[in-house]
Amino acid sequence: MAAHQQPAMDEGMHHANYHYGHAHLLARYCDLSDPLHPPRLQGYLQHGWNMGDGLAPGTPFVDGSRIFVWSEETRRRSWSQGRRDVVVVGAPFSYLLAMEPEPADAPEPEGTIFYPFHGWEGQQISGDHQKLIDEVKAVETGPVTACLYWNEFRLKSVRKIYEDAGFRVICHGYRGFWWRDHNREFLVGQLKELRRHRRVVSNRLCSAVWYGALAGREVAVYGDPMVLDNADPTFGGEPRLRRQWPELYGHQTDSAATHALARQQLGADELAHPDELRALLGWPASTERVK
Amino acid sequence: MSERSAALLPNQGTDFAAALSAPPVNNLRRIGGEMFAWSDRDPRRSSALPRGAVLRHLLGRYAGPGRTVLVAGPHADEVVVALADSGASVSWLLRSLIDAEEAARNHSRVTVLAGAAVKLDAAEKFDVVVAADGVERLNSAEGEQMSAAQLLDRLAEAVQPEGVLLLVHDNRLGVHHTVRLEPGARERLDSNWNSSEDENDTQRPASQQQLAARLAESGLTVGASYAAFPDPAALTVLVGEGLLGEVSSPLRPRLGTALSQAFAAGFRSRPVLSDPRRLVNRALRAGAEDTVAPAWLVIAHGAGAAPVIDRHELLIGDARGTFAYEVSSSAHEVRTTVLEPLAEPIERSGLRRISEPKAPGADVGYVLEERLLHLAAANDLRQMRLELAQFDTWLRAQAQDGLLAGPVALAGLADVFITEQGPILLPTRWEPIEPVSFEIAEARAVWQFAVQLLTSGQPHPWPIASNALDLTAVMLGMVGQGVGADQVRAAVELHVRLEAAEFELSLAEQHDRRLQLLAVSPGTASVDLPGFRELTEALWRQRYEASHLLAQMDWTEQMIKSRDLAVSKMDWEVQFYKKTWAGRFLWVSRSAYRVLMRDGRKFVRGRRARKAEGSVAVR
Repeated sequence: MAAHQQPAMDEGMHHANYHYGHAHLLARYCDLSDPLHPPRLQGYLQHGWNMGDGLAPGTPFVDGSRIFVWSEETRRRSWSQGRRDVVVVGAPFSYLLAMEPEPADAPEPEGTIFYPFHGWEGQQISGDHQKLIDEVKAVETGPVTACLYWNEFRLKSVRKIYEDAGFRVICHGYRGFWWRDHNREFLVGQLKELRRHRRVVSNRLCSAVWYGALAGREVAVYGDPMVLDNADPTFGGEPRLRRQWPELYGHQTDSAATHALARQQLGADELAHPDELRALLGWPASTERVK
Repeated sequence: MSERSAALLPNQGTDFAAALSAPPVNNLRRIGGEMFAWSDRDPRRSSALPRGAVLRHLLGRYAGPGRTVLVAGPHADEVVVALADSGASVSWLLRSLIDAEEAARNHSRVTVLAGAAVKLDAAEKFDVVVAADGVERLNSAEGEQMSAAQLLDRLAEAVQPEGVLLLVHDNRLGVHHTVRLEPGARERLDSNWNSSEDENDTQRPASQQQLAARLAESGLTVGASYAAFPDPAALTVLVGEGLLGEVSSPLRPRLGTALSQAFAAGFRSRPVLSDPRRLVNRALRAGAEDTVAPAWLVIAHGAGAAPVIDRHELLIGDARGTFAYEVSSSAHEVRTTVLEPLAEPIERSGLRRISEPKAPGADVGYVLEERLLHLAAANDLRQMRLELAQFDTWLRAQAQDGLLAGPVALAGLADVFITEQGPILLPTRWEPIEPVSFEIAEARAVWQFAVQLLTSGQPHPWPIASNALDLTAVMLGMVGQGVGADQVRAAVELHVRLEAAEFELSLAEQHDRRLQLLAVSPGTASVDLPGFRELTEALWRQRYEASHLLAQMDWTEQMIKSRDLAVSKMDWEVQFYKKTWAGRFLWVSRSAYRVLMRDGRKFVRGRRARKAEGSVAVR
């Protein structure tokens, strides 16, 4: 995996549009002829749920570019932070759910999938994994799957902590970097795992929890939220998450309420029609011959 | 402008030779104060003459055989001819001697009075006094000058106790003054020897109420009054009691559409400070249309037994010609009644003028365009998709074999009224003679809305630097219709036909218009009313787009460097692998595979061809 090599440029730019196979998934939704190699999106696609302006912190931004965000709330917040040309398209995961509704004869979900809050390539977390595991074991009744971020999954020591706890340890794969090594099926695999489980749990409110709620799973956020090294406090940090979305916190939550919130946050009711999305992303219209 | 006249134009003074050779006219009376070497008919010297179908209709109600009529000031010939045709005895006061002589020659049944209003015989009274031009051109440059208020009094005095006065009074707070962008206007017209925009004349009625009060001082009672739009000289929409200021009136949505169309036509290509349609729209929401109306049309009667004065809630008519209709409401039903039919069928550019506008259906609902503008400003994409889907379904249902016939084929989103029972069509002006493709008709409606969103600088939820094609594609995409440049080009073509029919565009004008409409980009300020505010908005968008392009160029440079580096590294890797035995083996194998596949395909194709030839030969 070449991902950890130092790139020629900083994190960010339009290559983030391909993280998690987002662009590929939208190309599939839009019925493009070659969804494995989608044309360039004319703007920045929000690539993870966030409580900021829709872009990852520190993203080198090309002035005047469009920003495609997941929700109307993010659009408003983004505008308030000085961003313009912010267009709501909805989260790629919402499009995936629209394309792949849960089959009626799907096996009964079982157990819990647990997402320990992760850092990313640029920020590592510090916290006590063992303490977290103990709490999860105390709360969750069925089998537990721990889904680690790829950089933690690579560390045998971290993986072993979870394996020793009796958890099944998985990783959804690498989100890709600088147009290389994308797991184009990242979200497809994630959805499959989410649907296998009855509950989705994390120690920090993050995309995966919202995805779980949207996919109709019980969700819960509890335990030591851990802290990111050099975490950016601009948007209020972890305490703000807890204050603004208390519905998702605690050992047990109200499924209807969390699902409704997930629909808002992931723009599930804002999804564009394929032809509309093509026009917004700057992709060829369905009536035009692809050059 | 005198300097211009003197320096650039041939002398337009009195043609004495022509005057001497012209046969004498016996229906002309020079009452004094008449102007020589002057004409109010020359648009470079004096402003436009009042005309319009609604004016003609209203006048027709009071003129008739045996009635005496005074037309005060310059008016379009058609107005005076219509009065004379009614059998009335018409006197026409004109300050220009040239105009008076020409009028007397052309209209032998009309008595022409050449001179200033101050010289009118105070003893002479009329059954009908018409002053659709207001009082501004009743003074002459010669002799005694009367103030606006005195002129009003003078007109009122000329009305018989049983007679009526029909007066159009310019509103200085009218939207046409507010948006005027005419540098040097004060000096432009030779007729402006006294400014027609003196705002500090405390005696001149400044509101409809003040106007009624002034007429009352002369013994006249206002029987009907209207807020008149869009231009005092060409009134096409009159808003009367029952609708005026009544924001809850069921006719309100129809009024909005009618005024928008009236301003679009009346101010076409006229530079303005800001699009008057938006100002009027705000006034309509506040029920303040009376305040911003360009003029008021009042019909006042004397103290005697005056004729019955009709009242209308909403009158709409052509700026030229006869066609006029009334929109009224009663018992939760909106009715459209044609008051004056088209003089003759009109067909232009493959379109036919609609002679029976209809606005059937319920009185509760909203105009689709207004709703979409609101949703666009509120970023409500979800609701917008529903609205457009409803429109799409409705339009599609009216198509037969993919073709739309009748008025609906040229309906814009402003012509669609959404009721509880679904969409209905508001009165429109043109229909195609031959049916139009559904896709093209729908694309035209949506494209027109996109152009409006873009050029009017209204807020919308889509990228700032979108062009009309982009926005059309997004909105049609909302209803699952992909649209490419070809469809939009066809839609623009249909739109040009509509404009060509409406505005009688020449082939060259159509060509220019087509190019203009096809190129609606973020930097396009306007396509119909050139507004300064809209221009500065467009300039801002252009700068935004340009700054983005510059940033994008920088980014592209960086990207190229980065990708070059990546390609170079990969090339190095590829070369390295090729040099190893494994790499060489792979390379040879791949080449062999390619050769085999290529030759194999050739072989198979050849064999098939031979077989096919063989079978043909056997037959």
